[in-house]
Amino acid sequence: MGGILSLPVLGVAVIYGITGIPNFAIGVIGVFGGFVTWYFLSYSMGLAIAIGVGVCFIIGWIVQRVLLTPISEMGGDATLFFIITIAVGFVFEGMLRAIFPRPNISLELPRIGTISFAGYSVEGFKIIALLFAIGTLIIIRLMEEHTEVGKSWQATSQNLKLAKLIGIKTTQVFSIASGIGCALACIGAIFWGSLYNLQLSSGWDLGFLGFIVAVVGGIGNIWGGLISALIMGMVMSFSGYLLGGEWQSVILYCIVILVLIIAPKGILGSERSL
Amino acid sequence: MSEQVLKVTDLTTCYGSISAIKSISFYALDREIVGIVGPNGAGKTTLLESIAGSVQPLEGIIEFLGHRIEHWSVLKRRQLGLMLIPQEANIFPMMSVKKNLEVSVILSDRDKREELISYAYELFPILYERRKQIASTLSGGQQRMLAVGIGIASNARVMLIDEPSIGLAPKLVTKFFETLKKIRDDTKKTIVLSEQNIKVLNIADRLFGLEAGEIRFDERKENLSRDAVKDLYLGSIS
Ligand SMILES: Nc1ncnc2c1ncn2[C@@H]1O[C@H](COP(=O)(O)OP(=O)(O)O)[C@@H](O)[C@H]1O
Ligand SMILES: [Mg+2]
Repeated sequence: MGGILSLPVLGVAVIYGITGIPNFAIGVIGVFGGFVTWYFLSYSMGLAIAIGVGVCFIIGWIVQRVLLTPISEMGGDATLFFIITIAVGFVFEGMLRAIFPRPNISLELPRIGTISFAGYSVEGFKIIALLFAIGTLIIIRLMEEHTEVGKSWQATSQNLKLAKLIGIKTTQVFSIASGIGCALACIGAIFWGSLYNLQLSSGWDLGFLGFIVAVVGGIGNIWGGLISALIMGMVMSFSGYLLGGEWQSVILYCIVILVLIIAPKGILGSERSL
Repeated sequence: MSEQVLKVTDLTTCYGSISAIKSISFYALDREIVGIVGPNGAGKTTLLESIAGSVQPLEGIIEFLGHRIEHWSVLKRRQLGLMLIPQEANIFPMMSVKKNLEVSVILSDRDKREELISYAYELFPILYERRKQIASTLSGGQQRMLAVGIGIASNARVMLIDEPSIGLAPKLVTKFFETLKKIRDDTKKTIVLSEQNIKVLNIADRLFGLEAGEIRFDERKENLSRDAVKDLYLGSIS
């Protein structure tokens, strides 16, 4: 659970960390890509995943470029972004309904089975999802240390105005960040859809959960998000196991509220930085 | 007489309904150090930010190297060779000193980058000593030096620096100003700096007095008395 959740959480953290804009449509866009993948799955698995993820990257790019970046240039505030990105989410959910006349899909990826570890057995997919998230994080870190592109991302995230003044193409950086964030959400949705199933409205669950988990970890703080995803995942499995699935979300959100009362900036603090 | 690299005509910039600068005309000659002096709230920052493009003026003309740039983006102005070091938030706080400089050479020619960074270290050896340190943990004075280092790394033709001496210990100010002068002499660039510190008289070729968004004087240094500058801060009572 935490493993799969770590992907949309990472997506949220990348987008918010770089652009400072909360994009609540990220989950719906990811699930849209999950449906696209499902549609092409009968041709070739690799191709289908590439198309789904690619579509999400492009959607993320375009939404950022034509909508969110211009609004933020005009000085849009958090409330405005909340409403606008929710609206964007409904647009994509509506498109899903119109294009894919099935309410519920399951992606038939080759099963990996379960991996036993110290008496617990964990779905192989969850491990792979987690490794994928960690791998992405490490790649981002390495890029920040060693490449010009990575350094410009970091600069943009730390001081947007100065980044513009020294000549970084911050509009482009924003678009790429949004594309990567949505692509990560899509990969999360693909894992989710092959382990459980994807419904037309699954994107909201994935997106909001991703957001909440990211906030608990310290929004914009990628490592905090990852740790938080793992803890929340465990809380959910554990409470589901102890009290039954119906109580899962009650326990989870009570803990979220509690954590945020104690540490309003999240577990690792929300220095907005990659 | 050398050419005007930067020329501002009748520039007005507002925040809401309040005009922070009113129909200002201003210029800078090639290789000149121009000081914009005036008390707090005079409009110095607004003028510099309007020139750099961080703030959009309501009306007026800004010419840079013969181009009308008042409608250009910050990036386009930067590409043509204009760079502003802001008064506040002028470093990348969570990066090392070294990375701050490395990211700032982004628009400079590849074969010049090393040289620009070395030059910044040469001017401010403390930055070299602390190159691995996270920028936000530097002292206030060192952060100012880093901000100027970022300006040097950017290799712009005209460097606008907003109140570089603010918060510096008096002893440091003189040395800091001398360094700015050395930068101009070494690099043959134009420096426009806003200041409240009277010591700017020691390095500026020309001073431009600003008060309440309007020009009070525009004089070569030789023609200015310290009192004229001081009057500006105290306000003319009559
Ligand atoms: N972002 C802003 N919003 C509203 N008013 C501002 C803003 N920035 C500056 N001002 C006002 O504009 C005037 C000029 O400010 P500024 O350019 O910062 O002066 P200086 O740099 O000389 O201290 C001041 O009266 C100030 O209060
Ligand atoms: Mg100022």
